[in-house]
Amino acid sequence: MKNNALRINPTDNVVIALRSLKKGDTVILENEKSFEMMEDIQAGHKIALENTAAGEKVYRYGEPIVEATRTINRGEWVHVHNTRPIPGDITA
Amino acid sequence: MEFKGYQRENSGYGIRNHVLVMCSVNCASGVVQAIKRALPEVVPVINNYGCGSGGNDAAVMIRTLAGIANNPNVAAVLVIGLGCEGLGAERLADSIKGKPVECLLIQRDGGSATTTKRGIEIGRHFLSLARVQKRVPVPITELVVGLECGGSDALSGITANPAVGAAADLFIKEGATTILAETTEMIGTTHILKRRAATPEIGEQVEELVNNQEERVRQALGERAGMVIAPGNIEGGLSSITEKSLGCIEKGGTTPINEVVGYAHRPAKRGLVIMDTPGYDIDSMAGLAAGGAHAILFTTGRGTPAGFPAVPVVKICSNSTTFNNMPGDIDINAGTIIDADKSIEQVGQEIYELTIRVANGELTCAEKNLSIPFNYLKQGPTF
Repeated sequence: MKNNALRINPTDNVVIALRSLKKGDTVILENEKSFEMMEDIQAGHKIALENTAAGEKVYRYGEPIVEATRTINRGEWVHVHNTRPIPGDITA
Repeated sequence: MEFKGYQRENSGYGIRNHVLVMCSVNCASGVVQAIKRALPEVVPVINNYGCGSGGNDAAVMIRTLAGIANNPNVAAVLVIGLGCEGLGAERLADSIKGKPVECLLIQRDGGSATTTKRGIEIGRHFLSLARVQKRVPVPITELVVGLECGGSDALSGITANPAVGAAADLFIKEGATTILAETTEMIGTTHILKRRAATPEIGEQVEELVNNQEERVRQALGERAGMVIAPGNIEGGLSSITEKSLGCIEKGGTTPINEVVGYAHRPAKRGLVIMDTPGYDIDSMAGLAAGGAHAILFTTGRGTPAGFPAVPVVKICSNSTTFNNMPGDIDINAGTIIDADKSIEQVGQEIYELTIRVANGELTCAEKNLSIPFNYLKQGPTF
């Protein structure tokens, strides 16, 4: 079964879409069916692997990269619209 | 693990046996090029400056040029000077140790034509010395591998950089040295790198290094400091500068940071070392080469053919599209993590094994293409 997402570090709570996915597509991770996409996503973008509450940190590479600004559910797209930089970061 | 290298008198072992022809000032570059045309085997190093620089730049210039000449991949060096330049060619030649060195000055030695003729004779002699030297078995603990990225894309931090990180960990496990460079691309990761430092002192050095760079960016860009994460990065899926920089420092793998060195300084420790270099690839590679890197692992997303004089550069591409669009420029396609279901560790192993073959003499794409741009860090005005 061909992977369409990649978890870079075993402690990450997001996975990376390896190709553009549509709402309802099954995320295939480590050659196994994992969960369904709740919305469309572009290749290279992050998908929530776990439900994440507002204020909780998003982990990629095993490190916190941003924090959620609202509840993000498994299968949702994770990006600047529902997260913010961790305080102290240079911001765009 | 061993590789076969060339023994140097007092600078370890080389994986190449190059004869460098280097000018101390750009005014002398015509003679270097003429010698290269007559002796295609020599490696030209064209110094674009060499005169009219301030104190800091002059210090970096001589350290970088001498460092590259002292790189263990270099068997012998011919320095071509003009005679009246700020960076004395003889001073440069005197700082090259443990290998045959000659210095010619165009003003003193009879002008371009005569200097070229003598340079060809010296170069031919140096090449004959290099040709008879045999490789000897060398423990891999002697190997120094630089880590670089350029022309990155949204996939660089997903495929190529983590795969190079996996390879870096394999080198460290065998006792070799890796140098993570490009301070600009560490911004936002101070706390993470600090935690990975081998001692609290090294942690503080890492913190100072990255914070200073962050401050320089804030000073230079002011309110636009956020531009270090470009709109294209955000379109590609990166949500913060920390996330972008993490993708860059992935190349360093997971081992402790054993030392922090300034630009073009040679590390004293083994294991993972951080060098303060700019994000511009050619300047960064010059720092790594001057610091004694035998080879450079260079990840790219958009694709770049750039190698470096005397130092084999292994190109690792993040995606199959670029790999197929630029045949003969990329050594390893890490896009196979996406479209051939290879693991990051598998591609890391491929990179490690190829680098050992390159250490033993296999040519990289950039070497075959003779793609050896040269430049180095210059920060002040020219007078």
